[in-house]
Amino acid sequence: MLQKTGRAGLLAFLLIVLEWTRPGLPSPLKPICDLRVLNHFIQEARDAEVAMKSCKEGCDLLEEVTVPKTTVDFDVWEGKNAQEQAHEVQAGLWLLQQALNTLRTSVTNTALQSHIDNITRNLPSIIAVLRSLNIQEFTPPISAAELEGMWRVSSTTELLQVHINFLRGKVRLLLLGARACQQDVS
Amino acid sequence: MSCDHLSPLLALLVVMMTCATRSVVQGSRDLERKAYILLREEPENPKCFAEGRKDFTCFWEEDEERSGSVEQYSFTYTYQGEKSNTCPLKVLPAAGGKRLFICHLNRTKMFVQMDIQVRRDGELIYNRSLLIELVFLLDPPSNVTVTNTGQQQLNISWVPPPLKYMDDSMMYEVAYAPVDTHLDQVIEAHASSQVILRGLQTNTKYKVQVRVKLDGISYNGYWSAWSDPVFMETLPAELDLLILSLALIVFFIILLLALALLLSHQRFLMKKIWPMIPTPESKFQGLFTVYGGDFKEWLGQTSGELWLTSAFIHSEECPSSLEVLSELSLSPTMVSPPLPPETSLAKRSKVDAAQEGLQEMDSLTDDWLMERLRAFHQHQAPSSQSSLLESQDAYVMLSGNKQNKDDHLDDSLEEALPREELFVSKNTARSESRSELGSVQQSFESSRLSSQSSFEYSNQSWIHKGPCYAYMAVADSGVSMDYSTMSRIDDIGKGFFYANDYKNEIHAHRRPLLVRQYPVHDDD
Repeated sequence: MLQKTGRAGLLAFLLIVLEWTRPGLPSPLKPICDLRVLNHFIQEARDAEVAMKSCKEGCDLLEEVTVPKTTVDFDVWEGKNAQEQAHEVQAGLWLLQQALNTLRTSVTNTALQSHIDNITRNLPSIIAVLRSLNIQEFTPPISAAELEGMWRVSSTTELLQVHINFLRGKVRLLLLGARACQQDVS
Repeated sequence: MSCDHLSPLLALLVVMMTCATRSVVQGSRDLERKAYILLREEPENPKCFAEGRKDFTCFWEEDEERSGSVEQYSFTYTYQGEKSNTCPLKVLPAAGGKRLFICHLNRTKMFVQMDIQVRRDGELIYNRSLLIELVFLLDPPSNVTVTNTGQQQLNISWVPPPLKYMDDSMMYEVAYAPVDTHLDQVIEAHASSQVILRGLQTNTKYKVQVRVKLDGISYNGYWSAWSDPVFMETLPAELDLLILSLALIVFFIILLLALALLLSHQRFLMKKIWPMIPTPESKFQGLFTVYGGDFKEWLGQTSGELWLTSAFIHSEECPSSLEVLSELSLSPTMVSPPLPPETSLAKRSKVDAAQEGLQEMDSLTDDWLMERLRAFHQHQAPSSQSSLLESQDAYVMLSGNKQNKDDHLDDSLEEALPREELFVSKNTARSESRSELGSVQQSFESSRLSSQSSFEYSNQSWIHKGPCYAYMAVADSGVSMDYSTMSRIDDIGKGFFYANDYKNEIHAHRRPLLVRQYPVHDDD
């Protein structure tokens, strides 16, 4: 017994040592500039919308949720700097994550549930893509009321519309304008 | 302000107004064209489209008779979560007795729902909700360029409408067809402003048009109008590869057959094209290579026996016989008048007779001839007394080797030489007329007579039915000599040295010509 414990401990110790002594610095994430990734997420969001249109029962959102504004005025958008744009997008993604989690618990329709699961899984992937572009990560506030540019929605349809509009609009514009991708092109 | 300042200002104003008018006219034409498209494509009213990132146009159509004035209508739009706004309307006449009521916005918000309401006299007539980024109606692609890139190919390129953020969201349709046909074919392209058309007909004029639409992922809309047609003719067909290869194979086969034919008849063709010019080189070792054709030198250096033995004692060849005259002593006053030309003809007739007598030369033996030749050789002056004669000359003058008469001989020779030169035939390349020249040993210095190409075997013409004699054939056909006058040296010394200007005519039957047979008298 003691021998087995000793061996396991020795193995763990060796792994820790190897982790510390891993040669070289950790390499930075390769920027993901290909918009086909986002296009795929948008397609899945549209599939969820379509599924919602054919949903009869167990599709309702049981409580109001806060969602980001999706409105894009190009003059206004271009007037913001990259940091403001990144903050706006990261905050919106965080809000959507909260809202979709709430929707996931509200919806009982299994078909709709699978779609909601898909789009819920996609949001962290989008955040990872933004991270690869050196876009500042979002520090969630204590309460959502501190954020600007939000809406309150009470239906599944509205929530899914906001979700897809947000991806097609602000998230895409942020990826298109990311400096890491601009440098690759130039 | 003076007139000088006003005139350029006026001109500038006119230009600006012209440009503005043109743009307005062009804008209205574009609007009419787009309205026409939407009237077909969009069932809902009002029909709305966005042309860019900021502008937005809505319109509806009404009959002129039933429509009211523009003041009766109101256009109200509301973005989600915002207050409603009103859009000022304007009216444009349309074809077919219609009127268009148009609302145009210069600033829009996308990715948000827009609610539109149209009222006439307060009564709601149209109600529509849309997202502006999903109703794009772009201008057609510009600068459509068609180039020939190869056989049955055309390279189409264009400039997409200038829209920021939307370049990678555009899709295109390229329609192409041969001119004057209705066989339109369409090819799609995504996020690319270039496409290659393949499999086209060769040497055919094609009409190409392009239109654009947003791909529907982030943005969407209607197909634009077709661009202005561009015409281009494809390249003419080159030889089909298969036909070309087959033709090459057939060509090579024919070439091989021709080569085989040539090789099989090589000898015959070489004789025709490059006839071998017989040379006596083999019979006279060193004559040409060492002595440069100087027969006298060669005779002097060699014993002459080789020449006698190898060159002419050849049983295969049957030269015609020649009567060898032995004596020749020239008097100092020798004058040899040239014969008139007619004489040659007379002589020729005699030669013909001599040729007939050739058949009766059975009595001449090899030994006798050799004896005579040796006798001549011994008496000849050393080293410089021999020379070559041209074959056609065949003019044999033999001397009894009177050395004390060399001076006379020289005199006579000098006189004779010009005439002898007459015997120089100009036809030296007739292999069939060559004859073996006998041992023309001339006691006189006739270096001027030296010439080449005298000693040639005539392989063809000496078909002598009679016995073959080891004679030294001298005369060529056409040479006519009258030896009768030369039978006596005295006669020769008196100048009977006929210089027959013969014509070297080759008789068709190629008789081995010889002079007449005359007994050789040796007066020594």
